[in-house]
Amino acid sequence: MRRHIAEAIARDPEKFAHHDRIFKNNPVVMQGMGLAPLVVLATSGKNAAMLAVAVALLLTPSRMLACLLSRLCPLRDERPEPEELEKKLLPRAFVYSGSAAVVYLAAYPILNMLFGTDLLTMGVYLPMLVVEPLLTYRFGRVQESMHKAVSKGLRITLGYALLLLILGCVREWLAFGTVFGVELSRSILPMASMPAGGFIVLGVVCAVWRALARKQREYLKNEARGYLAVHPQSQESGKEEKE
Amino acid sequence: MSEVLHLVGVFFSYAVLAIFAQNAIFTRGLGVSRLVQLVGDKRTSSWWFALMLCITQVLVAPLAFYAGRLLAPLPNRAQLRPVVYLACIAVVCLFELVVLKLAKGPRSGQLIRILPIAAVNSGVLGTVLVERTQSFTLEQSIGFGLGSGLGYLLAVMLVTEAQNRLRSRAIPEAFRGLPITLIYIGVLALAIYGFTGHSVIL
Repeated sequence: MRRHIAEAIARDPEKFAHHDRIFKNNPVVMQGMGLAPLVVLATSGKNAAMLAVAVALLLTPSRMLACLLSRLCPLRDERPEPEELEKKLLPRAFVYSGSAAVVYLAAYPILNMLFGTDLLTMGVYLPMLVVEPLLTYRFGRVQESMHKAVSKGLRITLGYALLLLILGCVREWLAFGTVFGVELSRSILPMASMPAGGFIVLGVVCAVWRALARKQREYLKNEARGYLAVHPQSQESGKEEKE
Repeated sequence: MSEVLHLVGVFFSYAVLAIFAQNAIFTRGLGVSRLVQLVGDKRTSSWWFALMLCITQVLVAPLAFYAGRLLAPLPNRAQLRPVVYLACIAVVCLFELVVLKLAKGPRSGQLIRILPIAAVNSGVLGTVLVERTQSFTLEQSIGFGLGSGLGYLLAVMLVTEAQNRLRSRAIPEAFRGLPITLIYIGVLALAIYGFTGHSVIL
């Protein structure tokens, strides 16, 4: 473990975990974003992969565009006054979803070229992505910089794609006994391919994921404390240098 | 007279269909992310949220019906759907905003703050897309829009009601919060399938 990471964890473990959008603070598992496509559509590895590509094409570019346009009506405070919210929330909501809809215009032909008629299996859930909180949740939050929009957009895309693929493969295996069409066993739980099964399987996956994330947070905290206890001198010399 | 009765019958049958058999949350998962956030959010009233969602869905339905007709002959309609239907939602929101500003009621400010969360929502856009994909008529669309909003309210009520029990210490720690809420919604969805079967037209 590097010193600056150990210090960051020891200083504020929650803040350190907050930046990890892939595992420790996955937006689906921790905040419940982007649930509708996961529950209804991610019934197989192939569907999950198509959805992951769609999200990859939409999320970061739309967030960048929205970041640029929302500078016209920025939210400056973490806790804005009600009057400011009344003025700015509605335009910001349409800036974010409108940006996603504009990016969708460019993303759709690419998806069509990649997947052809298979794209029809995504039904209304593909165009519906433009209002998913995963893409639009920033409208109610403080104005972000372009650098943050790109970096967070990419990390959230990775985190969402990872969960999509895990859930798609697990549901395909449970419902059909296959993973990406390769037969592994007989069908164990046919209900897993239905939305109700999707809710239940996602709930179980979330619980396991949260437990693992908590364990890893504890492990990192202990490691960081241990590291700083073993190497205290350089910390003190660092303080002296600062002084 | 029989024509009017027929229209009323169609309207109410589609509303009932959308509340129970085709419930936005339990059969399609529309707006479920917002529902999960709403249930734990003490600042936003679930009732007012559901009311705004209902009004928006009813008002958007006729607008989207005519927009869908214009869109149908275009070769790139699949690509244009989100932009066009989002524009319809924006027009309705603007109308609602003007009405709320003019009304100047005691709750106007609160409703103006809830409006964007309730309108820019996969529950609203999803319902519009379902109506247009299944080529509903005007009265079917309005009935389905109203029913879908009421169905959302039903789902919010059922999940809010269960929150106290879902916080029980008997539930393993890892399952508390979002995981148990999702499992609970899944079990409720299964109960609805018991009545209606489980085919969902995407």
